[in-house]
Amino acid sequence: MAKEQGTTNRFPDPHEYVEKEIPAELEGWEEMYPEHFLFGKEREGWEKSQFWYLDKIHAPEPMPPLDQIFQQAWQISLAQHTTRVFCIPPAQGIAHRIVGCYQYICAIAPPSEEVIKEKAALFGVRAHYPVEHYEELWDEWLNRMQELGRELQNIKVPSELPKYTPAQEIFPNPYKGYTEAYELMEAFDKAVNCVYKGWQYHFNYLNLSYLYYLMFVDTARRLFPGISESVIGKMVAGAEVSMFRPEEELCRLARQAHAQPEVAQILRKDGSAEQKIEQLKKFEAGQVWLDEIEKIKDPWLYISSASGWYHYEGSWVNKLDVPFDYLKSYIQRLDRGETIERALTSLASARERLVAEYSKLIKSDEDRQSFENAYKDCRTIYKYAEDHLFWVEHWFHTIWWAKVREIARVLVKYGTLENEDDIFMFNRLEVPTLIEETVTCWALGEGIPQLNWKAKAKRRREILKAAANWSPSPALGVPPTEVAEPFTIMLWGITTDKVEEWLKGTTAAPENVNEIKGFASSAGVAEGTARVIKSVDEIGKLKDGEILVCPVTNPAWAPIFTKIKAAVTDIGGLTCHAAIVCREYGLPSVTGTGVATLTIKTGDTIRVSGDDGTVTIVKRAGQ
Amino acid sequence: MGEYVLDFHQLSKASVPIVGGKNASLGELINAGINVPPGFAVTTQGYTRFLEEAGIGEKIFALLDGIDVNDTDLLDSHSAAVRELIESAPISPELEASINASYASLSDRCGVRDLPVAVRSSATAEDLPTASFAGQQDTYLWVRTSGDVIKNIRRCWASLFTSRAIAYRIKNEFPHEKVLISVGVQKMVNSKAAGVMFTLDPLNGDPSRVVIEGNWGLGETVVAGHVNPDKFVVDKILLEISNRTVSHKHIECIFDCDRGEVVEAETPSDISDLPCLENREIIELVQLAKKIEDHYGSPQDIEWAIDKDLSFPQNAFIVQSRPETVWSQRLQKPVIGRKSGYELIMERAMKTTRINM
Repeated sequence: MAKEQGTTNRFPDPHEYVEKEIPAELEGWEEMYPEHFLFGKEREGWEKSQFWYLDKIHAPEPMPPLDQIFQQAWQISLAQHTTRVFCIPPAQGIAHRIVGCYQYICAIAPPSEEVIKEKAALFGVRAHYPVEHYEELWDEWLNRMQELGRELQNIKVPSELPKYTPAQEIFPNPYKGYTEAYELMEAFDKAVNCVYKGWQYHFNYLNLSYLYYLMFVDTARRLFPGISESVIGKMVAGAEVSMFRPEEELCRLARQAHAQPEVAQILRKDGSAEQKIEQLKKFEAGQVWLDEIEKIKDPWLYISSASGWYHYEGSWVNKLDVPFDYLKSYIQRLDRGETIERALTSLASARERLVAEYSKLIKSDEDRQSFENAYKDCRTIYKYAEDHLFWVEHWFHTIWWAKVREIARVLVKYGTLENEDDIFMFNRLEVPTLIEETVTCWALGEGIPQLNWKAKAKRRREILKAAANWSPSPALGVPPTEVAEPFTIMLWGITTDKVEEWLKGTTAAPENVNEIKGFASSAGVAEGTARVIKSVDEIGKLKDGEILVCPVTNPAWAPIFTKIKAAVTDIGGLTCHAAIVCREYGLPSVTGTGVATLTIKTGDTIRVSGDDGTVTIVKRAGQ
Repeated sequence: MGEYVLDFHQLSKASVPIVGGKNASLGELINAGINVPPGFAVTTQGYTRFLEEAGIGEKIFALLDGIDVNDTDLLDSHSAAVRELIESAPISPELEASINASYASLSDRCGVRDLPVAVRSSATAEDLPTASFAGQQDTYLWVRTSGDVIKNIRRCWASLFTSRAIAYRIKNEFPHEKVLISVGVQKMVNSKAAGVMFTLDPLNGDPSRVVIEGNWGLGETVVAGHVNPDKFVVDKILLEISNRTVSHKHIECIFDCDRGEVVEAETPSDISDLPCLENREIIELVQLAKKIEDHYGSPQDIEWAIDKDLSFPQNAFIVQSRPETVWSQRLQKPVIGRKSGYELIMERAMKTTRINM
């Protein structure tokens, strides 16, 4: 795709962009984030030479300061596993910057030939071990992740700063020597350490599993040059992954309830989860069923209602209305004699058959052997990419949000914050200052004035709101000539086409765009009315036969797939939840478009082609 | 007279020497349970007997002896002379009666008087099993009445001696006497849409795709490349249509009853931009293609047509199938070779993706 000389094939210079293009309403946004996340004079030369793009996968919305902690943690962990642990030869890490509350990232250009050679020797002895020993490594991993989650859960947060330390805590008992003031400071520090450690674990085998996936794609493409992304996804994606477990548990609970007419009758009703629980508590069968929920609650209801990346999303465990709505619809389906469980064994055998039939098409025995080797290794380790997700982004994050809120309640109690969620308006380096000032005032005695954190939180909310109404450039700086970093290729899908598309898009307003592209993740074509759903709470608005357009889906969205004609998401690749479920139901899907919820409006007529990954806006609503 | 005229049902791949690849393949297909329009073949023995009885064989080969392929004027005039000999020499009453009887019986079977048929040549050349003879011989469509059937059988025989065919053989050092010809007479499909398909992607050799190209009307526009056809790329295993290109198909070939010949006509504007195949027809064709490829054990180049008068799925006909010659030989050799998972990951790890702005 040669471009004519003289046409623009670069994006705005990041430094000029920050200086001139950020709307005035965002004034003060820089203070919300740690210094090293900002573009600045000191690193100007290097920053200007890189290619920065908006991270629509993990940070599609403006970044609340404390929510940035996961991003901060992954910047380190993702990169180190590529550059220092497994030593993927030409790949370096992914650097972050924040521009007007939006996260931009950049795959750093490959290092010198000399370093590549040095790393190649190391990679050679490290790359294959995890595949050969995957089962035991996974067991170890899960163990350490679960232990860490428990550690985070068990961090003691004092519920108050007592007016006077109770006598029994001092004399004649051995005096522990510190008070709730220290405990509160320690609690947050410990929780932060857990998050950083958890995110260290997150990438233990992820980089390799992506690299193996790409290796399988390479191998398959050499033998079947036209093989579609959707077929590769079907070959590799597992059906038994832990992300699906919450849904399976709900199916099991629905069946149990269905066998107890009194329980089922209550669950069939409209009304909140809270009301239903109250009624169920009143009789034995109801209580027995509630005990069953209690048993599986941790971990299986610790699933985020969306991606797990933002504090306002919530999880099933603290939004019980969501799983109770599903239970209601499962019981109704059981009433009609339908099967509610996914046919896991038939999915697995369909996958095996697909691979075997493709393998049979290969004429040369040598090639067939290589194809099968590539597949076996990829399948073995790709399970990590699927399984880690529940345990980190959902279970572990749910625990973190709860712990932070526990701390925030103390700050609200002592007037530092207006409400619990205000804590998310301060980054992870600022929160210790808030805590310190709170406990300092307590320690100093009576009548001590405090800084006005509440006003700051309020102002920051306004900034974030203004940022949400602003569409920043999809990219900044000069496009790279080559990319080697596995996540950049596979997750963010940075290709010539993608960059070209962004270049085209920089001048077009969302309402003037009539075609967007993403992963062709489930084949087929469908045309219909779009329904844009930003969060799981709005699912009720969707009508039968509409096309779902949403940021991302997870099993919390499962029952919606029996109603829709096709799905389009902002986030997600070929093995994301929406892709897997759409393939199961035979619905077309285009995932990872980055801009679907921005470009498409509810009521637009759209055509979704899961064959080539395009979504066409055929007719705008009301036109 | 059985050896001069054979029904398609009687043919198999063992019949290649007497009916040529094309006809033998139709017989194979019918016997493999593929929906092929019925018909019969005039064998190579029928052709040699005609040459003998008419006494023109020696004259023909004398005319071609030592001819210089670069002397196009001479080549053209000798070619014309040979064809004139074949088209005008007497045909024995016995052979003629046998062809007439087969045509009458075919018309009866289809329940149509003077059944419209396609008359097609099918050359044989045992020593050149893989040479593609595509386009070297002729096909005549919408032939009706026994007189016209015979007239066109002669034209097919004569087509063995077009300047192009003669030159092709000389360049390949292949003796003219060793090339024989058989003629197939086959029920004409009243085609709503027609075209070709390959059991691998002709662009890149991908054996997991079936690529279908088609247009409204008869298949000629697609074969001859006179129109941008619709193109459907289908995953052979999952039967998913992975790519569809619906083109503006400005012309189609139809049979002009008044003029009695196939003509190119402007496609009605309400359908020129519509896909010429329904999804279920696409899938039916792919399933037929897979069956044919399985039957032969090698990639195929297939002509198909969808009949206007019949209902789905009986309307999907295979008109012809022959081995694909370009990729199928290349694919015998390994593309990757035998590599362990370790070797493959090492290769991948060193790769970078280029961004070309």
